[in-house]
Amino acid sequence: MIPMENFLLLSAVLFAIGFYGVLARRSAILILISVELMLAGVAINFVTFATYLDSQAFSGAIFALFVITVAAAEVGLALGIVLRIFRERQTANVDEVDTLKW
Amino acid sequence: MGMEQVWLLPAIPAGIFVVIALFSRILPRGGDWLAILGLITVTVLGVLVLIDFQGSFTGGHFDAHGNNVFAFDWIRVADDFFAIEFSTFVDAIAVTMIVVVSIVALMVMVYSVGYMHGEARYGWYFALLSFFTAAMLTLVVSGNMILLYLAWEGVGLASYLLIGFYWERRTAAEAAKKAFITTRIGDVGLLIGIILLWRATGSFDIQTIIEAARAGAIGETYLTVSMILLFAGAAGKSAQFPLHVWLPDAMEGPTPVSALIHAATMVVAGVYLVARFSPVYAEVLIARDVVLYIGLLTALMAATMGLVESDIKRVLAYSTVSQLGFMFVALGVGSVTAAMFHLFTHAFFKSLLFLGSGSVIHATEQQTVEQLGGLRRKLPLTATTFTIGSLALAGVPIFAGFFSKDEILLETLKGAPLAAYVALAFTAALTALYTTRLVVLTFFGEPRNRHAHEHAHEAPTSMAGPLVLLAALATVAGFVALDGVGKALGFAGGFGELVFLEEGHHFKLDPAVAFGATAASLVAIALGWAYWSGAAERAARARRWAPELHALLVNRYYLDNLYQAAIDRVVLGLARVVAWFDKRIINETGVDGGAQTIGYFGLRLKFLQTGRIPNYALAMAVGLAAIALLAFGTQ
Repeated sequence: MIPMENFLLLSAVLFAIGFYGVLARRSAILILISVELMLAGVAINFVTFATYLDSQAFSGAIFALFVITVAAAEVGLALGIVLRIFRERQTANVDEVDTLKW
Repeated sequence: MGMEQVWLLPAIPAGIFVVIALFSRILPRGGDWLAILGLITVTVLGVLVLIDFQGSFTGGHFDAHGNNVFAFDWIRVADDFFAIEFSTFVDAIAVTMIVVVSIVALMVMVYSVGYMHGEARYGWYFALLSFFTAAMLTLVVSGNMILLYLAWEGVGLASYLLIGFYWERRTAAEAAKKAFITTRIGDVGLLIGIILLWRATGSFDIQTIIEAARAGAIGETYLTVSMILLFAGAAGKSAQFPLHVWLPDAMEGPTPVSALIHAATMVVAGVYLVARFSPVYAEVLIARDVVLYIGLLTALMAATMGLVESDIKRVLAYSTVSQLGFMFVALGVGSVTAAMFHLFTHAFFKSLLFLGSGSVIHATEQQTVEQLGGLRRKLPLTATTFTIGSLALAGVPIFAGFFSKDEILLETLKGAPLAAYVALAFTAALTALYTTRLVVLTFFGEPRNRHAHEHAHEAPTSMAGPLVLLAALATVAGFVALDGVGKALGFAGGFGELVFLEEGHHFKLDPAVAFGATAASLVAIALGWAYWSGAAERAARARRWAPELHALLVNRYYLDNLYQAAIDRVVLGLARVVAWFDKRIINETGVDGGAQTIGYFGLRLKFLQTGRIPNYALAMAVGLAAIALLAFGTQ
């Protein structure tokens, strides 16, 4: 059996790459893709623990399903917002969308 | 119906107050019939209480001849540490007050039907009268200091609302305010006194306090201070010097209200309070002397002011202040009998005089004596009844005032320095003098205002009835002092056998005192007749002879001016300092300053918001990492 640490490592790497992408990228689309990577990392984390700690319980798997569902909904919403912003300003660069402050 | 159900007496008018106050627009005639019906019930029940009381009354010690009925716990903290019981107490004093309050209130209500006819807020007026009656009866029967204080403020509130009944008139609104604030000054003393007595005895129950004080459980100085503070409350309510200034102004209210509240009932609440505590006052003679000399000073001062006043109602107001002074003098020499007897007779003849003056005002719409005169032909009934009331007030034999005033003079001669007796006897003569002046200027001589005179008309039946009944009472009420009359009414004896402090006594006239007082009164009446009848030339000459004295009296010893100056300088000055502190320190520095400081920080810190998503994401991540570290880092 593959050791649990391998999966956890994969999950952590995916999360870290996604997090770096969120911080470093300027394009709204790429930030969204990075968020998806982070969510994928989290989902792997859930499934791993579910399988290794108690293979009879499904709670971890159900959480992973929830994460996927919510991620799909979130992307649908976020892409809609990005599309509106692009129509208004002809750009998807988040640095140029900074007027909603004081 | 007996003494146990005495709580019904205030409960009935209280219920009627609520009904009329809420539904006077719907009820026919604004609900006045309901108020009168309630008062008739109360009067009947009051008489039943009286019968029950005298049936069980065996005489004896002051403390014993009362009936303390515990109704229910109102507030109770830590068992007996702080207990306020809703209890009623009926003794001879309370019974006297119940009779006086219910009869006068009934007379005044019936009279008001005619007097207030067609006025705006007619229903509200009767609601207020019912409220007042309820509060006054509560005050009279309460066996607990807190309940008494509550009722005490209740009658004060009713007085305030009724003085200011015509609040559209600025003077009425101001008079109401003056009355409330002035009595309030005394009430603070009363409240402190109640708290001091509770601190010493651990009880609010009046009988418990009296017994503890008589047993010597309270230090003498402490008790003296407490009793003087109680008297301060009494002086405020009963318009004694130096808090007497509100009562003449209170005449801004409707005249029947003056008759009920400011002559017969509320203003004697102070007398009632001191009488209730008379066993304690007998222990602390310094406090009792304070009562005596304040009463004496007030009686004399008010009588002199009544001599020059030209407003018919205000003359009567000064007379009331003066007569209340008489009652306090009686209490000051330790004679509860004389004080309560004078309270009893005074209630009838003074409310009669007020209702009579109301009849004059109703007929002529004038109330300064300069505009009246010669009304005896136009208003024969009013003139007759008013004269009967005046004779009672002046202390002419057979009329009610003669017996009670004589009793007070006699007790003063026995219990006070001779100078006090002389001053009081002089005041009694002055009473006859100003009363004669009032009667002569109003009803005799030639009319001074033709127009008002021509349109004068005699009062309607609803007003005439109470006048006649009260005139009858003012004539015969004094006879209850006599043993024979008391026995005929079913009592053990005369008034002195019913209301007394240590032991009952039979009423007997001291020939010297009675003759002297009568002679002085008659001389004063003759003098008054000579001075003010006709064109009042002698009076005018007397005025020119001593203009300074006249000015002093007309200006009420400049006391009102003094108070006004004190208020303008001291109170308003202090108020300005407080207002400055409030405005600058509390508001501008504290409240606004705090808000401005926060606002300043907000102005500076808002630049933290860059609007750039990576910044927020980073802050979020760092924050999360910090929380995770705090939560799990130590494990």
